[in-house]
Amino acid sequence: MKLLYRGAEADVYRGHWCGLPAVYKMRKPLRYRLPALDKTIRSQRTAHEAQMIHLSKLAGVSAPHLYYLSPQDALLVMEFIEGKRLKTILLEASLSRGRVQTLGEEFGGSIARLHAAGIMHGDLTTSNAIVNSRGICLLDFGLAVHSAKLEDQAVDLRLIKETLTGAHFTVSKTFMRSLLSGYSSVLGRKRAEAATKKLAEIERRGRYARVE
Amino acid sequence: MKTMRRGGRVLGIESTAHTFSASVVSEKDGVVTNAKDVYTPAEGSGIHPAEAAEHHLAVAVRVVGEALESSDIGDIDAFAYSMGPGLGPCLRVGAVTARTLSLSTGKPLVAVNHAVGHIELGCLLTGADKPLVLLISGGHTMVVAHSDGVWRVLGETLDLTLGQLLDQLGRYVGFASPCGRKIEEAASKSKRYLKLPYTVKGNDVSFSGVLTAAKRLIEGGASFEDVCYSVQETAFAITAEVTERALAFTGSLELLVVGGVAANRRLSQMLDLMAKRHDAAVKVVPLKYSGDCGAQIAWTGLLAFRSGHFLPNVADSVVRQSWRLDTVPTPWRIG
Repeated sequence: MKLLYRGAEADVYRGHWCGLPAVYKMRKPLRYRLPALDKTIRSQRTAHEAQMIHLSKLAGVSAPHLYYLSPQDALLVMEFIEGKRLKTILLEASLSRGRVQTLGEEFGGSIARLHAAGIMHGDLTTSNAIVNSRGICLLDFGLAVHSAKLEDQAVDLRLIKETLTGAHFTVSKTFMRSLLSGYSSVLGRKRAEAATKKLAEIERRGRYARVE
Repeated sequence: MKTMRRGGRVLGIESTAHTFSASVVSEKDGVVTNAKDVYTPAEGSGIHPAEAAEHHLAVAVRVVGEALESSDIGDIDAFAYSMGPGLGPCLRVGAVTARTLSLSTGKPLVAVNHAVGHIELGCLLTGADKPLVLLISGGHTMVVAHSDGVWRVLGETLDLTLGQLLDQLGRYVGFASPCGRKIEEAASKSKRYLKLPYTVKGNDVSFSGVLTAAKRLIEGGASFEDVCYSVQETAFAITAEVTERALAFTGSLELLVVGGVAANRRLSQMLDLMAKRHDAAVKVVPLKYSGDCGAQIAWTGLLAFRSGHFLPNVADSVVRQSWRLDTVPTPWRIG
């Protein structure tokens, strides 16, 4: 199998499963973590990810189909999604403003559908979204949580904002504005505003943030 | 016009927290001198800002004198001070000292952000060029990378810093901060892992749960060594994990570790093991310069001054207790 991506906690390989193009996501032992702690985290996150992918699909969010799960081996086999990472697209020089807006709207809509179902993704970076002709497909649900807390919803938005200003500074403002507009149109203005207000509050809590 | 001579020299003053330090750096030789005097709080306590400021005032003249050592004060081209972030009373002592030096010599004042100082000195001393940076100290726990003119934050703590976690745990059993070394010593005597909450929120970390759970374990009679061991294993694994996320995300091949907690050997070891998976080189700031020091201010002051940045009026030399590093322009860096 071919190594597609070496992530922070898993290696992702491309292969086949019953003749279908598939990816193998393996959470390999991390040598820097105590073995006992490491084993628990890896198998928990693997099982949890499968569950969260399933729930996300029920919520109407595009996520890969699951083919196989083994928490003991910290292995997930799932559908191979064609397309480009959102990160790659946002770094393209030829990217138009209109395209940034469309992508932002769509991404925001997907996040809103998750949040409406009480699912917080937990790892909303631009490398965890694949863009293809069918739209945006979300990946990496290992840190997702079920939560009804506004705080968790805002933490989700904060991460994407952090990633945008950290790695996609030139498009971050436009993208974020469209994302919030897409978010609001799916989730409803009232809930969306509550979340962005909480987001601002979390940012003010940040170390050395200027308290206006 | 205020410009820098070739091979010019800058004297920098650091006074954000417990350390009062002054250093002379030169374009040609890097760090020339680095003198310091550290305030130690009473056993079981943390920094008392007013007491720390008194300490700084008492040692300021001597420390600056030591930093000047063989250099003639007339050979200094500019005076840099840490404008923030930090404790107001402590910062003011540094600012007043720098102002006095500037006014009496007619040389310009340069304001430096303490956190940027840690990073730029780390780059100078390790030869790191455009690294992913893990900044871990009593004041910061952040993963940072430079892009579009600013050091940008990719992940950070949502509550306590690593330094605070270790200090507060140490103080709980009666040590005076900084407690990192004592915790490391105690941890090295145990191999018994007690379960603690492991909180990663995307690229951000949270340590308040670890601290609360650790205190409860101590109350419940667990051995201090076992608790230290478990706190280190948990908090450092959390830190290594978010650093690894940023490393995988940015594809950076260079990880620079700066700040007081960079002195911890177990953490270095974990980061080494982690970076190996990504073929990234780990560069840790030398122990002598991992804690707060004048050199970080002097060197960053030199970089800023060389790019034409200084305070036009002495009246501008304020202090800023809250000043995030991702708002500080870095004209000396390209891109």
